[in-house]
Amino acid sequence: MDCGTCDSADPVQMVKPEVIDVNLTISEMAKNMLADAFGDDRSHALLVGVLSGGCSGYMYDLQIVESTDQDCQELSVDGFRVLVPKASSHLLDGIEIDYVEKLMGGGFKINNPNADSSCGCGESFS
Amino acid sequence: MPILPAVVGSLFPEVASLPIAALLDASLTLWRGKDVLQFIDGLSTNKVTELKSGQLIRTIFTDSNAKIIDCVTLFHMGEFVVTAGHLPFLEKLLKHTSRRILGQDVSITDITQLNELFIEFDCTNDSADIGSFSSEGEITRGNISGNMSLIVSSKGNGPSNLENFEIFNLWRINNKVPWHGYEITNSFHPFACGLEELVHQQKGCYIGQEILARMHSRGKQGKILSQVDTLTCKPSSITTMGETQSLAIIRC
Repeated sequence: MDCGTCDSADPVQMVKPEVIDVNLTISEMAKNMLADAFGDDRSHALLVGVLSGGCSGYMYDLQIVESTDQDCQELSVDGFRVLVPKASSHLLDGIEIDYVEKLMGGGFKINNPNADSSCGCGESFS
Repeated sequence: MPILPAVVGSLFPEVASLPIAALLDASLTLWRGKDVLQFIDGLSTNKVTELKSGQLIRTIFTDSNAKIIDCVTLFHMGEFVVTAGHLPFLEKLLKHTSRRILGQDVSITDITQLNELFIEFDCTNDSADIGSFSSEGEITRGNISGNMSLIVSSKGNGPSNLENFEIFNLWRINNKVPWHGYEITNSFHPFACGLEELVHQQKGCYIGQEILARMHSRGKQGKILSQVDTLTCKPSSITTMGETQSLAIIRC
């Protein structure tokens, strides 16, 4: 097998979506839950990202982080530091981060106007 | 079953007499980056995250209707992963995957033009060797099933004395083996073309998974791959035509 590791083969040109200045909102319920999670230490940030996979092709990735090596936009939303990876900004502009209290399937939810469809559990979208 | 002519190229001593056919419409891509296996796992039917260097696995990328985008063989080469697929489906596969890479560490290089692919068939691979591959110089031979091995060689270094592809098709009909561009196409889901073993039932979600899981749990899959009588089967159902027997995907 010739793997072309001496750069004799050109890399496939990847689709690089346009980076968008993201606007997002956080519901009252989600703010309360985030305030509990962060406590008084606001040095950490809420990372809102997208990974491939899930029933619908994209999955939300929500983490509380100190920092990240991803190239991100940093937003300040209602006193919270929010990081949005530039690579997935086109999928996250206009989202609302909500929190749903249910015994099953409760927790943080993303309401996304860019999603054509999402799977039943709400974790993935397309 | 027809007797296959004795032939062919000698890559390794033990396979010297086995038939080999050239795969002229195969693709080969090199995938590099620490997120590659997780990325492919999230978009295809088989569980590939545990693949180790020296191992291979077959998996299927499906769309939201669970129809096949491409069925690929992944070779874990240590530093990177090489995928063998079907060239006519490559553009669609790259479009499907590349827009989902986002910020993940995955890059893809098309190395089809540097290599040639062959299928060795009618072999008897030990069950312990299925899913492994070995390399000798410019040639890599991977055991993809109990009776087929995929051979990848650098351009111009492949085996000689090849079988006509029609002999491979005849063998496929007799052994009910689906193949790219015949049964494995964008018109069918993996169960319909007899690729149940490539659909992992316990892995996490991927595009098309809900439909396949529902078919599996209800035991209903609509159409199945069948060996049929060429003269009596509806011609439009035939996927691989043989003189007396053919392969067809028909309602069960």
